[in-house]
Amino acid sequence: MGKFIVRRLVLLLLTMLLVSMAVFLITEASPGNVARNVLGAFVTPEQEASFLAQLGLDKPVWQRYVHWLFGSDWKAARKIGLRLKRLVTEKGFVEWWAIDESGRPVRWKLQGDDLVAELRQPDGKTVRKIDNRRWESDPQGGWSFWGVDNANHAVRWQKGTDRKVWTFIMGSGWKQSSGGPEEYLPLKKGFIRGDPGESLRTGRPVGDSLYVRLRNSLVLAGIAFVIVMPLALFLGLLAGLKEGSIRDRVLSVGGMMFSVIPEFATGIFLILIVAVWWQLVPGATVFGEKAPWERPDMLILPVLTLTLIELGYVLRITRASMVEVMRSPYIRTAYLKGLPYWRIITKHAVRNALMAPITVIMLHVNWLMGGIVIVEVVFGYPGLGKYLLDSALYKDINALEAGAMILVIVAVGTQLVADIIYTIINPRIRYT
Amino acid sequence: MDSTDQFHPAVSDLKRQLQNGEISRRDFMRYATLLGVSTLAAGQMIGLLLPRKTLAADIRRGGTLKVSQQVQKIDHPARFSWLMPSNSMRMVFEYMTLTGPDNITRPYLCESWSASDDLKTWTFNVRRGVAFNNGDTLTADDCIFTINQWLNKDVKSSLLGLVGSYLDPGGIEKVDDYRFKLHLKRAEIAIPEHFFQYTAQVLSHRTFEGDMKKRPHGTGPFVLDTYNEGEICIVKARSNYWQKGFDGKPLPYIDEIRFIDMGGELAPQIAALKSGEIDLIDASDNPGPQIMKAVNRDAHVQVMPVATATTRVMRMRVDMKPWDDNRVRMALKLCQNREKILALAYQGEGIRGQDFHVYPKHPEYCSKPFPRYQPQRARKLLAEAGYPNGIEVNLAVGSEWTDIVRYAEVLKQDAAPAGIRVNIQTMPTSQYWEKWTEVDLGVTPWTHRPLGTMVPNLAYIADADGKPVPWNETRWVDPEFSDLLATASGTLDINARRNIFCELEEIQMTRGPIGIAYWMNTWMCSNKRLQNVAAHPNLVFLFNEAWLKS
Repeated sequence: MGKFIVRRLVLLLLTMLLVSMAVFLITEASPGNVARNVLGAFVTPEQEASFLAQLGLDKPVWQRYVHWLFGSDWKAARKIGLRLKRLVTEKGFVEWWAIDESGRPVRWKLQGDDLVAELRQPDGKTVRKIDNRRWESDPQGGWSFWGVDNANHAVRWQKGTDRKVWTFIMGSGWKQSSGGPEEYLPLKKGFIRGDPGESLRTGRPVGDSLYVRLRNSLVLAGIAFVIVMPLALFLGLLAGLKEGSIRDRVLSVGGMMFSVIPEFATGIFLILIVAVWWQLVPGATVFGEKAPWERPDMLILPVLTLTLIELGYVLRITRASMVEVMRSPYIRTAYLKGLPYWRIITKHAVRNALMAPITVIMLHVNWLMGGIVIVEVVFGYPGLGKYLLDSALYKDINALEAGAMILVIVAVGTQLVADIIYTIINPRIRYT
Repeated sequence: MDSTDQFHPAVSDLKRQLQNGEISRRDFMRYATLLGVSTLAAGQMIGLLLPRKTLAADIRRGGTLKVSQQVQKIDHPARFSWLMPSNSMRMVFEYMTLTGPDNITRPYLCESWSASDDLKTWTFNVRRGVAFNNGDTLTADDCIFTINQWLNKDVKSSLLGLVGSYLDPGGIEKVDDYRFKLHLKRAEIAIPEHFFQYTAQVLSHRTFEGDMKKRPHGTGPFVLDTYNEGEICIVKARSNYWQKGFDGKPLPYIDEIRFIDMGGELAPQIAALKSGEIDLIDASDNPGPQIMKAVNRDAHVQVMPVATATTRVMRMRVDMKPWDDNRVRMALKLCQNREKILALAYQGEGIRGQDFHVYPKHPEYCSKPFPRYQPQRARKLLAEAGYPNGIEVNLAVGSEWTDIVRYAEVLKQDAAPAGIRVNIQTMPTSQYWEKWTEVDLGVTPWTHRPLGTMVPNLAYIADADGKPVPWNETRWVDPEFSDLLATASGTLDINARRNIFCELEEIQMTRGPIGIAYWMNTWMCSNKRLQNVAAHPNLVFLFNEAWLKS
């Protein structure tokens, strides 16, 4: 068993690697442009190029993949020649700083032709000083310097070129100078070092948003799961006990009726009837910064929609499985042996009839986490599925990758759980 | 004594025109205020008493306003992608001027301004006694810093195209702490209106470093409390705002505004508005009749309409076949059955258009007959142009603009009798914006702008080198049109301007690159407890004096 689990974990890592590559390539190949999505439709080509460069999107795809997976700070540190440090401020902003020779965090900015160092004091305030000694002459006859700017990039600044820029300098006003940033390398730690990066769409660390969305989805999926699955299994077993009975007909036709109506239709009908006509519960979820469990009344309709959709599906599979078991020779034998009816059902029939539904249920955990996007959109529920949909439409690669990784973990994890449950239900199954 | 002596010389002309009945009071107000006369003074000149907006006794302080809005990524206001993020941030940051729901531009952080006779030198006076929420005092440096941010190429602001076309950083002159001058490259009348563009929020020159979230130091009535992209933005009232309320205490009346991200789907937002979970939907990025139609019979919701110059422009690339031939362009324009399009595409909630980019509420608008639907004439024109068997054309439309899709479907039907076979190519809206200037035939949304000269200067002229300007999606450059437009942009006399516009409109109607079938109305729909607000043509939020009924 231990060996089996280890093998599964290795498989998990491999799947994650392959999926992450696939997502990267698919996103790359799909149409759309992050710069236009973020800056609006009216940017000029130069503005677009500058924006893409600041996000590091001008680099080749393999290089971006490596940066996403392993980070870019080691590379930047080599260019700058100083150690880099990622820290989170009191207000929750992520900031990158270089650690200078005397161990103090430092960043730079260009003011006219002067390089200004910002030294971070222990209390979070900064002290500025001119730091022109760091310029190095470059082959084109100008001066250049690799450093960290205040927007979490490693930047190569250049001066003495023919580029002219206007900058505002405190105290002396507007001044024309010849320098400017030439090359950007956005700083990140990389996915395997626990930093899924910053969302291109929202500009927030993916981890922060994903945590909230994952939590919300877990709450919705969890409640739906806890209600649907026992109910569906119980009703399915009940229907399958006696094939063709009235009970069986009512349950399977009823279940089918709800599972064939698409969830957006069910959702809209429920909103119209329960929320608009009867005004019993809210028809949309408005959480703001609150957690879903603080507004349980808003969860009622989404959970009800999911229940109606899922119930019929699992119910019918359980029923089919139960019908088959009830027809099998060993049940007949048990009858003939004179065992009590309920003992036959609970001890012999149910256990075997559960094998098929368990597989389906476990596959559905995955669907409940990411695939209920339609229900989320209908109710405005801030869940993982909607987050991934928005990210995909925006070509927001960091968010998409992190979400995909979570879904891979859920998929492989639930399969592992299903396999373990099999061994409990059916002792003949052994894994090595 | 003439009280207009101290004002721009054109003001007395305006006054004379008003007295002779040549212009309306509204036009007088608009132009006089543009030239630096305060609204109050302009109102006094024409004997207009500004009505008190509300009875002070009703006003209640306190309460939390809940708005459904997509909480987008923001860092630099000059880089806002569209109106929506400006609406939450305009609670914290303010503008130098304010263009009200009536299209009149009023002084705001700049308390007055004046223009030289040739409209090339503008002097702005910065309001005294305005403090940022970090305690710093607003001075001319902050305004100059902000304008320079727009003109800085690395900031990537859309204002660079607008303001940069007539102003260089070197043309900004600081006179003293509360006064600055702009020396323009050419005459421009719309500067005060440009200062109210959604991207023009005034920043602190002392503390702004590229990210407004990190140091949200603005002069507005609220301070930024929380900004979680994709979730929620909370702003809270500050205690020392520069404007005073009816009771002599500083505004705002509302304690707190929460912008809650419910995603882009309208259905859940409408459901939440009806059930009172939210008070208002921010529809500024996607105005349309859907929300109004869903809530206009609801007892808790008030619907405030406004007619706008927002429109859908059917544009043809004149540098590409077959649109390089004006007869072909004319043929397609003749296929627009305007009443039908307005009724089916926009549910009749607008004004018919006339194939030139000026709408009836623009002051310059010169009345013209509405072109009729004439498929037979269109067929004849096509034959003359060498297409006796008709033509097949691809029409690019963004699928999320549902009214445009319906517009395209009506056009397809009505163009068939003329021999124009239209293939509708739908694509995601984001993809349309990818190539909106590149497609040969498409329908592009253009937003409301308060003056008739503003859009033509953005879309139908060439730059100094003779290249079409960046937003000239049709590449149509007509020397006569450009010259007349330049004259119009420097002409203050409204009748003279309108006379020029009669010619401009005629040129665009007879040989222009666009068809405009309708101008769209828009609505602000809010819970009835939100008081003292009006719908703005751009659906921007002006909530300084808004209050909440208990």
